[in-house]
Amino acid sequence: MSNRSETLIRIVDLHKSYYDGESELRVLQGIDLEIKTSELLAVIGASGVGKSTLLHIMGTLDRPTAGQVLYGDQDVFTMPEAELARFRNQEVGFVFQFHHLLPEFNALENVAMAALITTPSNKAIYKEAAALLEYVGLAERLSHYPSQLSGGERQRVAIARALINKPKVVLADEPTGNLDRRSSEAVHELLWDLNAKSGQTFVIVTHNSELAEQVDRVVKLADGKVVL
Amino acid sequence: MKFEWFIASRYLRSRRKQSFISIISIISIGGVALGVATVILVIAVLDGVEHGLKDRFLSNEAHVALHIFDHSFFKDYQERIQRIEAIENVVAASPVVFAQIGVFPEHSNTIQDVIYIKGIDPAQEDEVTGFSTYVTGSTDFQNSELIEKAAFIRDETIAGGIILGGRLATRLGAMKGDVLRLLIKLVDIGTGSLTPDLANFVVIGFYESEMEAYDSNFGFIHIDTAQKLYNQQNRVNFIFVRLTDAELAPQIATKIEDAADFSVLEGMPNARTWMEAQAALFSALQLEKIATVIIEALIILVASFNIASTLIMTVMEKTKDVGTLRTLGASRGNIMRIFMIQGSVIGTLGTMIGTGLGLSICWLLSTNTERPSYWYILALVVPIVLQFLMASRHALRSKGGWKFAVGVLWLIGVGFALYCAVRPISLVDLGLSQIYQTHQLPIKINWVFVIFINLLSFVICWFATLYPAWQAANLKPVEALQHE
Repeated sequence: MSNRSETLIRIVDLHKSYYDGESELRVLQGIDLEIKTSELLAVIGASGVGKSTLLHIMGTLDRPTAGQVLYGDQDVFTMPEAELARFRNQEVGFVFQFHHLLPEFNALENVAMAALITTPSNKAIYKEAAALLEYVGLAERLSHYPSQLSGGERQRVAIARALINKPKVVLADEPTGNLDRRSSEAVHELLWDLNAKSGQTFVIVTHNSELAEQVDRVVKLADGKVVL
Repeated sequence: MKFEWFIASRYLRSRRKQSFISIISIISIGGVALGVATVILVIAVLDGVEHGLKDRFLSNEAHVALHIFDHSFFKDYQERIQRIEAIENVVAASPVVFAQIGVFPEHSNTIQDVIYIKGIDPAQEDEVTGFSTYVTGSTDFQNSELIEKAAFIRDETIAGGIILGGRLATRLGAMKGDVLRLLIKLVDIGTGSLTPDLANFVVIGFYESEMEAYDSNFGFIHIDTAQKLYNQQNRVNFIFVRLTDAELAPQIATKIEDAADFSVLEGMPNARTWMEAQAALFSALQLEKIATVIIEALIILVASFNIASTLIMTVMEKTKDVGTLRTLGASRGNIMRIFMIQGSVIGTLGTMIGTGLGLSICWLLSTNTERPSYWYILALVVPIVLQFLMASRHALRSKGGWKFAVGVLWLIGVGFALYCAVRPISLVDLGLSQIYQTHQLPIKINWVFVIFINLLSFVICWFATLYPAWQAANLKPVEALQHE
């Protein structure tokens, strides 16, 4: 397990604005944030304050208007597009509020997907995917399609999918926002367990105060800035 | 590439029950297939017509016709023929007195028709145009029994026998043994007015080459008779030449002109090739073919629009999935390739099916086999349809994994049923056999063209995939994710 004090992600003076014609909507206005390896971090804040935007930029899905996101010493936005996609594939796992599973593929294929992008299909990938699904408690559901799974099950498949390439960081955008209490708790426990076992870093955007109480550190956003 | 194939093939099949994309894939494939099939079929028929015409035309037409520009007579033709026949690739040459004359039927004093007359030496003409193979009746112009009989009955001078084109004879109502009066020329007998110089000919046979142009416009008489009538002893105005290969005509025509060696006084020689003689017909066919190719290319283009719109719809439907794939680390290139593969598969399948369809319709049109009886069709089709119905039910109940396979089987089944229902198309049934003078639509498959059309179709379809794929690749991941 790597050292907890090591900085994994450094966000430097991050700005993000959206433009709609003349008007400028400034969402992020100078975010500075350091995230350490194996940290379990919750990002909270009012709706529309830019939590998701921050998460997207951290995950290289979106580009900042100004500022840097450094993984180690690497400013990720200086990478060319193809390299950035490869980086996302290898180093970042995403879990969204909505599962975003591909409906044409069964649970096993969905989990294997990220690995299949870079590696030709082989048994090892599917074995790994099956092991992950077993770990999230879906050993019996490998060949089920998303439409045949419950909300909690889908979200667990989505978590397994985020882990297939053993990313350094898992970014979760309100992973239990759409689940009932029991399913939420199951997902939470899964996340804690994962964090404890794998030492992966988790950044979780949430409204859930219960969840926020159980993490290593809480970051609160207000007016486009970190306030806590 | 494996990853892109994995996704694209699943999108083509589309397992989701509520999805209609797989049906759209089938429709797109059908669009391309129909386009390609029509092109192959139409071009095969056009080629067939041209080839058939050429074939029939060349079998009884000289490849090169040598004459002097003003059609005047020239002497020493046998010597000239010997020199021409010495040219490489020349099979034979035949002297001809060629003229246009008026016809008076029996018991009539008005001109009924104007026909072409070829005064020929039957033996020499046979070598060039296969003359006697098309004649029913006698080819002995001078000594036919019919001539003597007619001369005896009418008590008139008979110049000789004439062989009439079959349709011309029908038009003139001329039977074998009838006497035809031909207007050879008008003579000034010194009174200031012109008197017709007439000659009587006895119909001794009919010429039936199945070439409309000859059968309804030509009459044949002996060369000696013709020379006498025109007062051109030992002279002719045409030499017809047959070559080993009709396509060589343009090159050899000039050699023939040289070999004929006309003096300046005789006039300018002209060796007319069959291509020049029939230029109007064949250039019309050529033009028709070019126009057809353009129209057919447009048809394929339309089909390719079909592919493009299918892909654009797929992209729209899969926008969210594209977003997801991007978060999983698929690059723009990956996304682009997914949709290009999808489109290319549609294009390739469509082209292949179309080629198969086109070629089999060609085969169907050119084959002479009879339609199988209805009982036979029933015995074959009914079990197949029942089987498919059962399979389809099973497929629809099962989770749709078999749907694609059943769809393909259905296509084959329906195709087979159609095949059984369609009789090899006969021109007799269509009432066209009179025009084409054949019972079967002439079909000639030009394989180079088939390959060309295949390539063209592939390329057009491939281009059709570019825009939708590019569109998918440029979706912004975050926006795509939030797309509903």
